[in-house]
Amino acid sequence: MTLKSIAQLNGTVPIQFIVLATGLVMLALIPWFTGSIFHFHIAIMVCLAAMATFGMATIAWVGQLSLAHGAFVGVGAYTCALLVTRLDVPFVLGLPAAAIVSGAIAYVIGTPLLRLRGVYFVLITFALNELFRLVMLEFPAISGGSNGIAGIPKINLFGLVLQHQSEVYIFTLAMLALVVTFLWAVRRGPLGRRFSAVEENLELAESSGIPTARTQNTAFVIGSGIAGFTGAIMAHYIGFISPETFAFGLSVSYVIILVVGGRLLLAGPLVGAIFLTPLPEFLRGAQEYQHVIFGVVLILVLRFLPDGLAALPARVRSFRRAGQ
Amino acid sequence: MSFLIAQSLINGVILGTLYLLMAIGFTLAFGVMRIVNFAHGEFYMIGAFMALIGVTWLGLPYGVTLALTVAFAILLGALIERVVFRPFRADELSGMIASLGLAMILQHGALIMFGPDPQAFPSMASGVYRLGDLIVPKSRALTLGIGVVILLGFYVMLMHTRFGRGLRALVQDQEIASLYGVRLEIMYPLGLGIGIALAAVAGALMAPLFGVSPFIGSTPLLKAFIVVILGGLGSIPGAALAAMLLGILESFTSSFVSASAADILTFVLVIAVLLFRPSGILGRGEA
Repeated sequence: MTLKSIAQLNGTVPIQFIVLATGLVMLALIPWFTGSIFHFHIAIMVCLAAMATFGMATIAWVGQLSLAHGAFVGVGAYTCALLVTRLDVPFVLGLPAAAIVSGAIAYVIGTPLLRLRGVYFVLITFALNELFRLVMLEFPAISGGSNGIAGIPKINLFGLVLQHQSEVYIFTLAMLALVVTFLWAVRRGPLGRRFSAVEENLELAESSGIPTARTQNTAFVIGSGIAGFTGAIMAHYIGFISPETFAFGLSVSYVIILVVGGRLLLAGPLVGAIFLTPLPEFLRGAQEYQHVIFGVVLILVLRFLPDGLAALPARVRSFRRAGQ
Repeated sequence: MSFLIAQSLINGVILGTLYLLMAIGFTLAFGVMRIVNFAHGEFYMIGAFMALIGVTWLGLPYGVTLALTVAFAILLGALIERVVFRPFRADELSGMIASLGLAMILQHGALIMFGPDPQAFPSMASGVYRLGDLIVPKSRALTLGIGVVILLGFYVMLMHTRFGRGLRALVQDQEIASLYGVRLEIMYPLGLGIGIALAAVAGALMAPLFGVSPFIGSTPLLKAFIVVILGGLGSIPGAALAAMLLGILESFTSSFVSASAADILTFVLVIAVLLFRPSGILGRGEA
């Protein structure tokens, strides 16, 4: 909002925006500079983590935190993997189907669920995530039980099989761009204004005639749909899924990315994923400390930077202005 | 058949006592400080390690070890309240997210210190009690006995001391309680400390039965979570009823149906209660 208004005032694109965009493009190109498969792999994981966290962020934009997010990624992963391996459906149909099934489940359970707010919503989604895992373990005929589903074929786009990591990376990057563009458009439109009204003050929004329940449900459906979308790509990139892949820990990792990146800013999930996903790889020597470090970073960011790392430039700016 | 029912009932009560020890601290942290403490299970784990260190490394008697565990846990709880939770007093959601971080720190801290392998714990009592056809291993009877004594002690403290009255007042209404002279600066750290101490005692009591490893905290957390939701967040009588019901329900379904059926059933129950009666089965908590 502020960037846009500055741009309109000066009639030019603000310099920070150019710097930011160039930086992002350079960052995205790193694997091609190094040419290392390992770097491609990390870059893919960053994109997938960012994408799933964008889904969680959409729900956070209406003021709710969903700990069932890992389960929705799982719903998408199982939907697409089962369609492709059991029914020979092409991946290009399985991918949207994954998003639709996740979104549809969110739509059905969203209406009763979203009557709960704050910690109660967190608690019920936590219980749902656990229920998903237990149900998947209980019906091995469909889900493969604790053995999961192995040998999921590689991503196949109209006969073009993405064999190499660099090809998968291009695809994931494009999908991430799609998701970000979609959410950017949503946030700019009337729906986005309703989101932030509901997030800021639910009672006020309600009394101003905004259908708060429907708005929250819409955000829940969009966010969970994005989770399912991510899950489908994840399943076909990694090639193996099991109920444990989508346990509570996955939801928590998205919470950490979201909070560290910034809960309410569009850039938040991206910043969080870029910052946190490669971190374990740089901490190879101190692998056992990585979770401790995650925990410490989470608490410190909550305490001292509650708007997340993405809000850092704005903070520095206002700090400087206050100093002048 | 009646023998099997009675045996299931006894096992259920033992389970229920453990669940109640876990659930009180969890519900107290929410009732008093509005914190949903996802790190609560890690204090069970820490209690189990404390007992392991006391009994096998230092060679202390079990009773002394339990007392030391309680003292250490209260101090630890007070410290954590000061360092981690205090800044988020006005913000339930941030406090809860911070507890997720705290859980990671504690669990993986234990992993660094003690390694991932489960460690054996010497049994504190051997042999069984027989009541007709019923069999109760002495180790379980001991666990049950100590657990009940500690719960009774907690009950007396809560109902018949100045401190306990203060805690109950805080659960009911924080502002009015502090207006009447309940000192938050003392009650918050001590309240969290006592809740954590109960979880640590549960860990120390269960260590001889189930062994000790850095990952043992997640199941008790889950049980505490279920009990507290069924009983109503912040309600101690509700937790007591729900803990016994859950223990007996699990014991019966795993005797007569299957253990995984019990798990799924309880989660469906939790979701139903949250949706239709978020104040819990007794309706004494708040929502």
